[in-house]
Amino acid sequence: MLARECIVSAPGKVILHGEHAVVHGKMALAVSLNLRTYLRIQPGSEGRVSVNMPNIDTFLSWDVSSLHTQLPASRAGLQSAVEPDPAVVQKLREYAGLVDGLADTRSLAVLTFLYIYLSVFAESRELPSLTMVVWSELPTGAGLGSSAAFSVCLSAALLACRGAITCPAVEAGQTARWSDDELELINKWAFQGEKIIHGNPSGVDNAVGTWGGALRYHSGKTKPLSSTPVLRILLTNTRVPRSTKVLVAGVRDKMTKFPAIMNPVLESIDAISCECERTLMEMASRPEIQHYRVLEELIDINQHHLNVMGVGHPSLDRLCQVSLAHGLHSKLTGAGGGGCGITLLTPDTDSLEVERSIQELKDCGYDCWETSIGAPGVLHHSSSSLKEDVLKVLNGY
Amino acid sequence: QMALAVSLNLRTYLRIQPGSEGRVSVNMPNIDTFLSWDVSSLHTQLPASRAGLQSAVEPDPAVVQKLREYAGLVDGLADTRSLAVLTFLYIYLSVFAESRELPSLTMVVWSELPTGAGLGSSAAFSVCLSAALLACRGAITCPAVEAGQTARWSDDELELINKWAFQGEKIIHGNPSGVDNAVGTWGGALRYHSGKTKPLSSTPVLRILLTNTRVPRSTKVLVAGVRDKMTKFPAIMNPVLESIDAISCECERTLMEMASRPEIQHYRVLEELIDINQHHLNVMGVGHPSLDRLCQVSLAHGLHSKLTGAGGGGCGITLLTPDTDSLEVERSIQELKDCGYDCWETSIGAPGVLHHSSSSLKEDVLKVLNCN
Repeated sequence: MLARECIVSAPGKVILHGEHAVVHGKMALAVSLNLRTYLRIQPGSEGRVSVNMPNIDTFLSWDVSSLHTQLPASRAGLQSAVEPDPAVVQKLREYAGLVDGLADTRSLAVLTFLYIYLSVFAESRELPSLTMVVWSELPTGAGLGSSAAFSVCLSAALLACRGAITCPAVEAGQTARWSDDELELINKWAFQGEKIIHGNPSGVDNAVGTWGGALRYHSGKTKPLSSTPVLRILLTNTRVPRSTKVLVAGVRDKMTKFPAIMNPVLESIDAISCECERTLMEMASRPEIQHYRVLEELIDINQHHLNVMGVGHPSLDRLCQVSLAHGLHSKLTGAGGGGCGITLLTPDTDSLEVERSIQELKDCGYDCWETSIGAPGVLHHSSSSLKEDVLKVLNGY
Repeated sequence: QMALAVSLNLRTYLRIQPGSEGRVSVNMPNIDTFLSWDVSSLHTQLPASRAGLQSAVEPDPAVVQKLREYAGLVDGLADTRSLAVLTFLYIYLSVFAESRELPSLTMVVWSELPTGAGLGSSAAFSVCLSAALLACRGAITCPAVEAGQTARWSDDELELINKWAFQGEKIIHGNPSGVDNAVGTWGGALRYHSGKTKPLSSTPVLRILLTNTRVPRSTKVLVAGVRDKMTKFPAIMNPVLESIDAISCECERTLMEMASRPEIQHYRVLEELIDINQHHLNVMGVGHPSLDRLCQVSLAHGLHSKLTGAGGGGCGITLLTPDTDSLEVERSIQELKDCGYDCWETSIGAPGVLHHSSSSLKEDVLKVLNCN
């Protein structure tokens, strides 16, 4: 059933506005981040399934016959993607030799692969032999949706192998998208993967990874924005570790202590997300330089509010200062307290200033990428559409 | 929305002494102004005001104009010297309008306050003038002071001083809010809302650093900028104003608790309120790189700061707390001065207008008063 290779990619995600406020019932805007995870599946050596994930130094393989012993992994059919059964997941853990309770990246990635592979092929005549390579541009554990990008790629590639979705025709040097119905199915399965990795995920990350563009998230419901411009940004990782749990609790404490001061701040953030959504929609049809000025202003205001909420950090202040010295506007994205920040690049941004910013941010000890947001979701690639460095990695396995 | 104004313990000092026969002399070394007039010549300017001592009626523009000409002040010029001279003449002539003769006196004024920095220097001057001249006139007492001490006037007397100080402010500013002279008269803290002022019954005295970035700015432009931002993004900005109002309320509550029994936890709250408000002021667009620098430098020494007044440069206040290390304070002051800013260690919530015995004055102040 696996005639030839299938190459897919999915974007990461950043929160554009509304982080932390969303916990308190306000609206947030999540957008796809064009640092992508690439996955290639090829027909494998007879009777073996191999998984290669060089980012996380993981190279494993199993006998197909041995994998058979783990069926059925899931009772559901392909279309319904039922909740992962904890007993099944536990059994898979033991099978894969993963230490009980360990939640490191490798264990979770392997577990997710096995779960989805076994579930997708549960009712087919035989488990296919395949070799899979995964290569990601996304740092892990930085709140950038790397696990969801992985789950989306896995789901798309395995469902396509299974024939549950097509493998959309791609011309040389091009990429292709799946239909909306097919994306729905990919997303359902990616969400299951996320549940294995995160336990109780919001579903935003996999939705963004699947559909790309921008997505509004409010009270547990997600709604894609009909059209979004692609915006150039710098994505900076201060690499300052932090606990999302602690930061969220800190915000809650501050709200309890000063409700009359803090509640209006949440309201203001909600209004910022609305204004941003409005602006993005105008930009999608006819972008003007004035729109960028508005986006910059919204970024600055929101960054102040996030500091008011207590999720700032000196490293983030530094990030904002350095970029501002070059005329660029930045805000933290995600949990705060360190972690990542986004910097908006505009049509009238001087490329020399961008270079200097990147260099100065790196000199601060941060990682910094020039990339974009609002990029496409999961894509099917022709091998010639891949960047040289990505193709090199994939071809190494 | 509500605002909290507090007295700043950088003070303006004024001494009146009986003068040379038939002359009125005014010495204001801060602004390099040394003038004097013949009492007989001043008589020609009466009546300056038609009101009695108690009613302190609005300054009549025609009278003020005539005084300007008399004092040789260039028409329309609103420099500090002109306004100070004008205010002195107006209050002097009005206070003594119905007395038998205009007194000869020598007046010296010395201020620790920078002018034009939004710190109430003009009001402090008007309050001093009013208190001193009303006391000379006998309209209020000259409260007895023991050596090395100061004395306050009664509430009724403070009311009268404030009324006259407000007239002085009108001459200087045209349409003042009245907050500056109220704070200058009563001291402590004052809540200001919808044009009404209400003194806080009791306020602690808090140590602060007062820093002047000396970056010039136009209050008018800044106020207009805020209005524009509010018009552009009402749903984003209105909640920010609400939040600031809640900060003022929380601060008022905290100050009142501190007045009876201050605890270190109160200071932590004040610091948090300062930080939040400073962010909101930046959101409103009245921040400035010099103010960011001020906040950063102080924070590096564990101290919390915010702009005070119009923003866009100008002044900032830094809270000092009982657990503030004095070495860190010294270092902060030095670093702020190294930035090119002026920086004073002083306090807020200090007493309003006071009557001093000469031995209660600081040495440097006494020196200036004695030399002029």
